Amino acid sequence: MGFVGNTLAIVKKDLLLELRAKEAISIMVFLSLLLLVVFNLSVEIDTENVSRLAPGILWVVFAFSGILGMGRTSLSERDDEAYLNIYFSSVTMESFYLAKVISNLLFLLLMEVFTIISFVVLFDYERLILALPALTLPLVLGSFGFSVVGTLFSFLSTGSRFGEIILPFLFLPVVVPILLGGVSSTDIILNGSTGDTPAKWLKILLVFDLLYLCISLILFRYIIEE
Amino acid sequence: MLRLLDISKTYSMRPVLRGVELELKDGEAFVLFGHNGAGKSTLLKIAAGLMSPNTGRVEITTESHSRGGIFYIGHRNGLYNELTVMENIRFFQDISRNRNGKFPLREILLEFGLWQRRNDPVKQLSQGMKRRLSLMKGFISGADILLLDEPFSGLDVRWKEIILERLRGLKKKGVALLMVTHLIKEGLSVADRIGLLENGVLTFQCKKEEITEEEIKEMLRGGVCR
Repeated sequence: MGFVGNTLAIVKKDLLLELRAKEAISIMVFLSLLLLVVFNLSVEIDTENVSRLAPGILWVVFAFSGILGMGRTSLSERDDEAYLNIYFSSVTMESFYLAKVISNLLFLLLMEVFTIISFVVLFDYERLILALPALTLPLVLGSFGFSVVGTLFSFLSTGSRFGEIILPFLFLPVVVPILLGGVSSTDIILNGSTGDTPAKWLKILLVFDLLYLCISLILFRYIIEE
Repeated sequence: MLRLLDISKTYSMRPVLRGVELELKDGEAFVLFGHNGAGKSTLLKIAAGLMSPNTGRVEITTESHSRGGIFYIGHRNGLYNELTVMENIRFFQDISRNRNGKFPLREILLEFGLWQRRNDPVKQLSQGMKRRLSLMKGFISGADILLLDEPFSGLDVRWKEIILERLRGLKKKGVALLMVTHLIKEGLSVADRIGLLENGVLTFQCKKEEITEEEIKEMLRGGVCR
């Protein structure tokens, strides 16, 4: 099976675990709904300004809900020291890390679809559904970046007593470029912009995704060994 | 072959292991006895590469790398509690170094008394069943060196016998065993050599034939040290 086979075996196991426990998805979906309701009640949003506010609200919800869910997937390995199966197997740490990134990415995308549908319902903003094909690339690139950074930090923080508290403090400052790229490209797609295209921001997202991926692949081994 | 050379370990200024030297040949079983807190588990973790010693080193040379290197079974069982018995073992099989070897899973699960419970989530199993499943992973891992920390915890007399028989079978196949246990009789029934760890120092080691169960008990009570 090798690298790809091992990676897929771990992803399959993570999906099966999530299907049974429903921990990551339920936490993410619940928080995203909660945040949208809070925004709905606290910010004066009408048909005039919803288009302008939507990108910011959506990406803030993605970031905060996502980080909670990503913490759960690393905890499933820490519980009962299950990660030792992987440590003493043929799986390389790079394969382990990539599998976790893919699992987290799938959970994030699921949460984002739910968040978008909830946003449309709560804010009566149907244009978001129509723009969904164009938003796919920013969503995938942004979520991949979140997953790359979130997976690394979730393993770093689960070793600590205050892991779940530390995680957002580590995660949020590092994902600022991804947040910026996601918000800007979404804004251009939803509102248009004078002479600006999403391509510039998508390139920035791609560069940061690859940069964070390379750094994380190097650091992950040391985090696990610690 | 596993060699521990001049291993020392300190936890926050408190020495846990002091200059431990130990050699384990292929097909040999070394059983380590000692009081709680003597450093037995720490020594096993260092041998497994899960912990770094402050001084000294671990040398591992295995004749057949194809069967894999080391497998460690600690106090925890390393199981995914939400997955079923079969899903746990299949996942382990998928990522195992020995995945090309043929595991007759049905026979092994029958032998370990888990076939009837194969579709039950691990969280519904008793402690003894979980332990058996955990040990099963070690037996099918294809490792050349098996490190076992209190392998009999939670097992009744019948299952201890079956596990001991399995361990003796592994020895015949050339697998080296380094085991930590408080159960002297069971330890002696599988050991080729035994050692006594006291306050981080390997104070005594000999061949199994050179010592009796009573003498070990006496030594552990703090009596005559031969």
